[in-house]
Amino acid sequence: MYVTDEGEELFVIDSHLHLWDASEENVTHEGGEQFIQCFYDYHTGFTPEEKQWSLEEYRKYGADRMAQDLFGNAAVDMGIFQPTYLSDFYADGFNTIEDNAELAERYPERFVLNGRFDPRDGEAGMRELERQKEEYEIQGVKLYTAEWNGDSKGWRLDSQESFEFLEKCSELGIENIHPHKGPTIRPLNRDAFDVADVDDAATSFPELNFVVEHVGLPRLDDFCWIAAQEPNVYGGLAVAAPLAVHRPRKFGEIMGELLFWLGEDRLLFGSDYALWNPDWLVETFMDAELTDEQKDEYGVEFGVDTKRKILGENAAELYDIDIEAKKEEFRSDPLTQEFGLADHYAGGTSATPADD
Amino acid sequence: MSPDRSRAEGTAAATPAAVRERLDRVTDPELDTSIVELDYIEDIRITADADADGDAVFVAFTLPTAWCSPAFAWMMAGDARDAVASLPGVAEVTVELREHMHEREINRGINEGLPFGEAFPDADGDVAPVRAELDRKARIARQHDATGALLDAGLTHDQIADLAVEAVRVDEATDGTVPVWLRDGAVAVAVDAEPLVRYREKAAATGLLDDEHPELFRTPEGDPFDGEAFELVRRRTRLAGVNMGGQGTVCDALNDARHADDRPPLSTFSD
Repeated sequence: MYVTDEGEELFVIDSHLHLWDASEENVTHEGGEQFIQCFYDYHTGFTPEEKQWSLEEYRKYGADRMAQDLFGNAAVDMGIFQPTYLSDFYADGFNTIEDNAELAERYPERFVLNGRFDPRDGEAGMRELERQKEEYEIQGVKLYTAEWNGDSKGWRLDSQESFEFLEKCSELGIENIHPHKGPTIRPLNRDAFDVADVDDAATSFPELNFVVEHVGLPRLDDFCWIAAQEPNVYGGLAVAAPLAVHRPRKFGEIMGELLFWLGEDRLLFGSDYALWNPDWLVETFMDAELTDEQKDEYGVEFGVDTKRKILGENAAELYDIDIEAKKEEFRSDPLTQEFGLADHYAGGTSATPADD
Repeated sequence: MSPDRSRAEGTAAATPAAVRERLDRVTDPELDTSIVELDYIEDIRITADADADGDAVFVAFTLPTAWCSPAFAWMMAGDARDAVASLPGVAEVTVELREHMHEREINRGINEGLPFGEAFPDADGDVAPVRAELDRKARIARQHDATGALLDAGLTHDQIADLAVEAVRVDEATDGTVPVWLRDGAVAVAVDAEPLVRYREKAAATGLLDDEHPELFRTPEGDPFDGEAFELVRRRTRLAGVNMGGQGTVCDALNDARHADDRPPLSTFSD
């Protein structure tokens, strides 16, 4: 939890986590090597110098290190795993549900484990989605529309095949759809991260929530306009949040736009770990402010109440997490015992803070 | 006239400054910012060749990520080549994109004058629609600056929404302002020229100056609007500008990361 100087607690759900393996042994295609190196550019470009990892530790960090990074200084209370397969690049996949399960199953009360589908996998993909639901009780899927698959270099969320899978999600009660719509990491000229295909999918499946990861960057304009019209479209702040490190003014502008077009109830914090590390990013996010000029221009607030929603409450709403019950549970769960966090969760014994 | 003599006379042949000036007209289409300003240019070499009918110019550039869209890289390489080739006294231009996942295809394609589809047989489609979409976004972002200048000059929402193409006389610019005619040509107001000139350039590129509507300013979709919709359209144009600057911020940080002294080599993959 983040605790303000006034002693106010903010429960943190990091909505975008990975446990990946880009070790050289796992890379089977030039694209896999380029991919991790591109990630590393993002890491070093937006991480304070003293917090940067070496490329070697970045390739494969393992479950123990990840638990330490998330919970060691209690930056995060819970996390949501978002898999990224890239099976054409990595022998055992880059960041699969099985990779993620290694940590999620160690501390089940701390994690939400999402699955994925690829409509190009057809009937086999449909069975795999059912298996993920059955085995891991997934409530959400991460979708990577720019992924290579054989001869195909991408797919669309509004295609007929995709709709069949979304239909299946609806049927299985997988309500949270997280399409990755972020900065370019794909070769050739088809814009497979273009956010436009979210529009039709969101309209066609009003019972599902579409959390657009990376808020459509570099197409923030298209994303905001779609989200302004589709109430079931949300924004995941992974990639956007680290801009606060070196580019606070630009971060303020982007937050201003997001709060103006979507409002404070439809934005979710995410570190994108291990792209960035919540052990410093949560604090950076909390310290970030809009300038007076930006507050005037956008007519929005970015204070503690807004941040509390973005850091945890909005994700809790989507994933049926009872924050107060969790805080109670975390006073003595295995992770708290392992990391010595009992004192951290002992404060604020009453569920409602006293009025000033 | 040989290039050597023309240089001696101080006229036609290329200088690095002249080459840079031409390259400055080339934009990163996603950012709508000059590739010179963005510091992409790594090397300019000019070789005078008395036997040929002009100089040979070599330009090398690097983009912020190796995965930067090949279509954008292709556009920049092609535009750079065309821009430099338009310099008097230049007979031959070679561009070299460095450290890009598709540098080989792009360098060969651009320098041999191939169409995109031939350089990238796997690509589905041409760069033309990509360029059109980026021009459209640049047009929207530039509209924000242009309408901001008109607001500063005291025009009302209705006046700006109704402004006809020919009411803005960019060809009559003086002292950094252009006359904008209002009330059916009854009065002219002097308005900061640069944002209007820049807007018109992209309005032309996106076909808005000669379509069926007389209005200069449009919604992002290209439709005319009235004074009541002015605020919403203006917020959308602001958003387009913020988006563009946001991408610039990301590219900038990636560029710095990429060129840091302790950066490991780009790829260690081998079959």
